[in-house]
Amino acid sequence: MLWDNIDLLIAGLATGATYALVATGFTLLWQTSATVNFAQGDFVTLPAFAIIGLHAAGLPLPLALLGGLVIALIVLGAMFKLLLVDPMLSHGLLPLGIAAIALGVALQEGTKAVFGAEAFPFPSVAGGFDLGPLFVNWQDVLVLGAALIAVAALQMFLARTRTGRCMQATAQNPTVALILGIPVKRMVMLTFLLNASLVTLAAVLISPAILVKFDNGGSIGLSAFCAAIIGGFNQVRGAIAGGLLLGVLENFAATYGPDQYRAAVPMLLLIGFVLFRPQGLLGRATERAV
Amino acid sequence: MTPLLQAHDLRRHFGGVQAVNGISVTVNAGEILGVIGPNGSGKSTLFNCLLGQIAPSGGQVLLDGRDVTGWRPCDLNRLGVSRTFQLLQVFPQLSVLENLILAGQEHVGSRIGRLFGPRDAGLTASAERMLARFRLQPLAHARAGGLSYGQQKLLDIAMAFMAGPRLVLLDEPAGGVNLTMLGGLRDLLRAMNEEQGATFVVIEHNMDFVMSLSHRVICIAEGRIIADGPPAEVREDARVIESYLGT
Repeated sequence: MLWDNIDLLIAGLATGATYALVATGFTLLWQTSATVNFAQGDFVTLPAFAIIGLHAAGLPLPLALLGGLVIALIVLGAMFKLLLVDPMLSHGLLPLGIAAIALGVALQEGTKAVFGAEAFPFPSVAGGFDLGPLFVNWQDVLVLGAALIAVAALQMFLARTRTGRCMQATAQNPTVALILGIPVKRMVMLTFLLNASLVTLAAVLISPAILVKFDNGGSIGLSAFCAAIIGGFNQVRGAIAGGLLLGVLENFAATYGPDQYRAAVPMLLLIGFVLFRPQGLLGRATERAV
Repeated sequence: MTPLLQAHDLRRHFGGVQAVNGISVTVNAGEILGVIGPNGSGKSTLFNCLLGQIAPSGGQVLLDGRDVTGWRPCDLNRLGVSRTFQLLQVFPQLSVLENLILAGQEHVGSRIGRLFGPRDAGLTASAERMLARFRLQPLAHARAGGLSYGQQKLLDIAMAFMAGPRLVLLDEPAGGVNLTMLGGLRDLLRAMNEEQGATFVVIEHNMDFVMSLSHRVICIAEGRIIADGPPAEVREDARVIESYLGT
């Protein structure tokens, strides 16, 4: 029983780590450009298809991965910011949110038109090792390790480099950052590129487990969005904690509860947090003077 | 000698409201100019026009005789012009020390150096000196957003000095600062002016503070300068008393 639960915990942390990556992207975009990217889940699908397409076209896997990253940086990073966010941001958050939803639909239908509605397998690491009575998959270890290293590196970058501090300053007070000579536009663009890198990594890590299908983005995006809110939305560390918590709870709920309600776990958790801890796990409660 | 800052017939309207209506003013190097006037008289709009945060509808801004009208705030900042705000403008999630380093780091080194140079841009020592000067040393590693209002105000002012500016525009520096801190702040600004030759333009509603700090005071009402002269003279000006100070 104990070992079964440890097994569930490891698998849950692995799933949660990928949610954390996507949720961190949500948080970064919100902090630096007030963008709630409702297409974030579909952003995970695009690089997965790009990698599969490049690999199928004959590129070795490492080059296909690199190609997928480059495509994501261009399409989901630079083009997303320049062609959608910049023109829409001046119209307010709601039009931008709706435009992001439309982009998500376009990405889904676009990938469906090119690749069809079937699910594609994604290359994964085979085998595993025994841990007591448990058999631990290398794939789970890879997912958990890579995601944790990525978020730790991101945290280090934000907290311990000059550019990271400029990005934080841009997120916290863009007006003053601009006056102080911090290249705010470049910092915001860097955030979009970081987000594109995070979703590409998430695509590589989560795709072997769920297969690649045009409509995967909906559930991934919803889970990551809930994870970001549960964590405190305005906190990168919160997004990580929210993602891990959600991944573990989803796994336990699917095992000990009816499997068909697994998809309801993020929403139930979200409702619970909104009702009882609206500032999230690591967010700070703020008061508004009236 | 060319004045450090000149505004010629500066104008800014918002729809039908003429917030700044033909203001001409000069600020000489080493001078402390006080700006007073009732709320809504156009003081902060004048600051925003001088600093390029709002493009003026008309007129000209000269810095060292060079036309800088409509220049971006960051470009003016690189020329040695900095400012504080009426409402607190610090980076709340960063530490006090990091706030100070941020305020100076874009003035240090080349663009490449800024990317790959040391994390503190070599500014830790000068930031610590600034902390000592503003008596904020014990709070160096505290989160700026967690400081009291008065302490954040001091930090905001200290940040304006981190890049070694020649001209600092202070928007209500005494607002929300308690009386004990206020005297110290005035002495500090005066010392900065005398020792470093820093030039200040200070918007302030605290008459004792601004009158005792400034070399010269202008009073603005309805977007125009209605008095310009030594503090004692402006304080006694009938138009200033009528439109702002009262009897």
